[in-house]
Amino acid sequence: MFKHLFKLIWNKRKQNFLFLSEILVSFMVVFAVFSSLVFYYQNYSKPRGIAYERVWAVSFNNSLKIKDADSLKMFFENVRTNIKSLSKVQEITYSSSNFPYANSHSTTGFTSNGRKYDRINTYFTEDTYHTVLSMNLSEGRWFNNTDGVNKYNPIVINDALKKAMFGTESAVGKLIGDEENAKMKVIGVVQDVKADGDYLTAGYAMYNRIDTGSRKWIGDILIKVSPDADAAFESKLYKVLANNIKNSNIEIVHLSEIHDAKNGDVIFPMTIFIIIAGFLIINVALGLFGVLWYNISKRRGEIGLRRAIGASGRSVSYQLVSESLILATLALIVGTFFAIQFPLLNVFNIASSVYLVALLLSLLFVYLLVFLCSLYPGKQAAAIHPAVALHEE
Amino acid sequence: MLKNYFKIAIAVLKRRKFFTFISLFGISFTLTILMVATAFTDKMFSPDYPDYKRARSLYITRVQLENSKDGWINVSSASYHLLSKYISKLKTPEKVAIFTFSSPANTYINNKKLVIEYKYTNADYWDVAEYQFLEGKPYSKQQIEQAAHVAVITAATRKNYFGDVATAVGKYIEADNVSYRVVGVVKDLPRTLRNFYADLYLPYTVSKSDYKEVGLLGGYGAVLLARSEAEMPKMKAEYEQMIAKVPHGDKEFDLMYVNADTSLEAFSRNIFGNGANSGIWLMITIMSLVILLFLLLPTINLININITRIMERSSEIGVRKAFGASSRTLVYQFVVENIILTLLGGLIGVVLSIIVIYAFNQSNLVPNLSLSLNLTVLSFGLVICLLFGLLSGVYPAWRMSRLNVVTALKSQ
Amino acid sequence: MIRLQNIEKVYRTDTVETLAVNGISLDVAKGEFLSIMGPSGCGKSTLLNIMGLLDEPSKGIIRIDDQDVSKFSDQQLAKFRNKKLGFIFQSYHLINDLQVIDNVELPLLYRASSAKERKDLATEALEKVGLSNRLRHFPNQLSGGQRQRVAIARAIVGKPQIILADEPTGNLDSAMGNEIMEILINLNKNDGTTIIMVTHDENMAHKTHRLVRLFDGSQVV
Repeated sequence: MFKHLFKLIWNKRKQNFLFLSEILVSFMVVFAVFSSLVFYYQNYSKPRGIAYERVWAVSFNNSLKIKDADSLKMFFENVRTNIKSLSKVQEITYSSSNFPYANSHSTTGFTSNGRKYDRINTYFTEDTYHTVLSMNLSEGRWFNNTDGVNKYNPIVINDALKKAMFGTESAVGKLIGDEENAKMKVIGVVQDVKADGDYLTAGYAMYNRIDTGSRKWIGDILIKVSPDADAAFESKLYKVLANNIKNSNIEIVHLSEIHDAKNGDVIFPMTIFIIIAGFLIINVALGLFGVLWYNISKRRGEIGLRRAIGASGRSVSYQLVSESLILATLALIVGTFFAIQFPLLNVFNIASSVYLVALLLSLLFVYLLVFLCSLYPGKQAAAIHPAVALHEE
Repeated sequence: MLKNYFKIAIAVLKRRKFFTFISLFGISFTLTILMVATAFTDKMFSPDYPDYKRARSLYITRVQLENSKDGWINVSSASYHLLSKYISKLKTPEKVAIFTFSSPANTYINNKKLVIEYKYTNADYWDVAEYQFLEGKPYSKQQIEQAAHVAVITAATRKNYFGDVATAVGKYIEADNVSYRVVGVVKDLPRTLRNFYADLYLPYTVSKSDYKEVGLLGGYGAVLLARSEAEMPKMKAEYEQMIAKVPHGDKEFDLMYVNADTSLEAFSRNIFGNGANSGIWLMITIMSLVILLFLLLPTINLININITRIMERSSEIGVRKAFGASSRTLVYQFVVENIILTLLGGLIGVVLSIIVIYAFNQSNLVPNLSLSLNLTVLSFGLVICLLFGLLSGVYPAWRMSRLNVVTALKSQ
Repeated sequence: MIRLQNIEKVYRTDTVETLAVNGISLDVAKGEFLSIMGPSGCGKSTLLNIMGLLDEPSKGIIRIDDQDVSKFSDQQLAKFRNKKLGFIFQSYHLINDLQVIDNVELPLLYRASSAKERKDLATEALEKVGLSNRLRHFPNQLSGGQRQRVAIARAIVGKPQIILADEPTGNLDSAMGNEIMEILINLNKNDGTTIIMVTHDENMAHKTHRLVRLFDGSQVV
């Protein structure tokens, strides 16, 4: 029977060409939607890596006139003491401007053991940074005050970078970098932090300890406050900051707010995309439905004949549904060929699993769509009365 | 003849209500999305409050330093030094507005936090941009020279900070722990206008960071305003000549790009281009591709339905042919019919667009951005409609014209 | 073989009731070649449809091969038609998108059979109608007579006991019509197939064993 239906479709390939291309294009649209959805969902289901609640970020765009490194350090310590003395401040850390959910990015790359690693987010942090953000260590330790005097620059890397560089081996104690005077020593590995919001990948990350050289670029403070910290306290904190850091424009943001904003940056365009794709699919579904319906009325003679020579109503509707599904299969084979190029060519640097899952979901979706669109016309066909159909012409 | 076609078209549409529904649904929805997108683009690129003089403005928003050997690139906005020392010395421009891009600061009133975006400007800024003053006026050249703590605020800021008061001029507003006297209140504007948006406008001389610092990179942008549109090429030429002579300063970078762009170029350069290339053609190509791709599915769908419609009417076609209609007249008839259908869909699309745009404006998704269906948008919609009608009508019509008379007549 | 008892068929629309077949009783013996004649609208096609189980009578009993088929379900009817009946139509009803051999194989698709078996049976049936050299043609590449012969091959490929032919020569010129008639007579004679044929053509009707005339839904001879 299958071969028979296939022959029927093949011999009608010219008429079916548009139908096929419509399914093909819809498949590509669905594939795009599912790829994004799977990508976002996979990222979403991974842990955040930090707790952003009750963390406030202070930006004071470091335009300090202090050029001398020691005075600058003194100044930073002063501000720290004054803020920490406030009752509702639990912990505080200086940070580079690319703290989680901030709009700022800073990436670097290096060569280690002859291999090049690119697009590594570089953070400048302090010994309390991981406490403020409640980061999770997977291995080793975070910075402490013994780290200032080592021969090699101590760094903490994230799980993703560790996996890329060392696989399942332990990373702690390893030296990184091929240039002799720029070698870094891994002292710890932290869980990935999704710094661009819950729906995007963490990427590679590398944490440095702020030192004399990097301090002059630092213009942000992260503060973990107690649960009873309110707007009144924030106002007080602002005054303290403004009195301590003169000649600076100061802004306090809550990490929870910029976290939501970052997520919104993904959700908002995605919603529009899904709405548009949804309308396109409804459009296609109605079109398929209409064409299938019409085809059946055109083939009344054939259907009547099939009934006369012994096809039951059910087998006729089964035939029509199968025909549509075979047609869909033809289009989907071509579609899959295109879709499979994405993981093969590693387009957009996204994990192959995303594309493969999306591919499966899209296949399922299109089959379901075609199935549903042909179900009713198939039923209609089963109801065709052979005696009537055969005498129409 | 055309009237006859119209009658037939309406009759055909009535006959197969389901197909008519599908066609109209597809056309109107496609058109709605395109029209809303056009309304948005139109809002972005055509002169709008307070930036009415786009046609004779050049925008300097970006400085790119490049080390061509190692490929390092450093992109930022310009320094005040660069803009005031070199660019404001140009002869052709009538005015040169200099301003910073807005950045946020906090202020606290009654234990409520208010985030205020502030912007420093020079005096010419208020002549280049035509803000509508609800009360007061802009700060003067003298006030700027004296570094007076005065400010222009927007209506929204007035409401958020002072509450529902009739007038705010003369009152003091505190932002970033500094107090400023309000001298003017302007009508709100949308955030999408990167060069002009702020909640609080201040003289650049009160800026906390040192605007006198020598260097090329900083937080400033500029608008060069020509006396007339005709002087635009001359202004651009003078600018190019001048900028080529500006010393790079930094030995690390051998190439410097500071572009004075039209608003469209400035937009495309930020997204698709770089210092050397404005990316405007890339942008147009990408946009057209996106539109074509978006149109692809509805078009195929419509072609499919049209073919179905035609096959259903094969006996009518047979009769017409038998009584002497040429293939060309039939193609013509069908294309006209299809265009009538598309225009009908377009009409529904316009109604839908009005609803969507109304909903968008009401939702305040982008505050103060009020979209509208103006003549540009409508005519674009009409063009798309006709294109759509042609695309989806021609192939089925061609198929129809090739129908064999005898078989066409035979099949009921 | 076929026994019709007091068959009535009423077509109802909102306003009109039409009596298409009015109390017909008819016995068709095994191996008989029966023809039915009558003017247009006399109910002969309806009667044929009822005998072919394509249509249900409003009243009356049909027994085919000693089975009461009036209580059969859709599935049972389909199976019964497939096994015992073969149809030939005036307008052939070939599927234009399938090659001749595939058209002929069609009835075998609705029963358990292997591809080879189908092919062999279809080829054999086409040989019987003299078209073994046209297996790979499409119907629209054939003449009317050839098409009807394909339709006959399709009707006999399942080796049915009964063939129902609805004006099989109606669309053909007399030479071709005679050819088709020849084939039917041979089928009846050599294979013992019962044939019931509706026709307009007196000449054709006289070549059969028995002639039944209908007028306004009733049997007149």
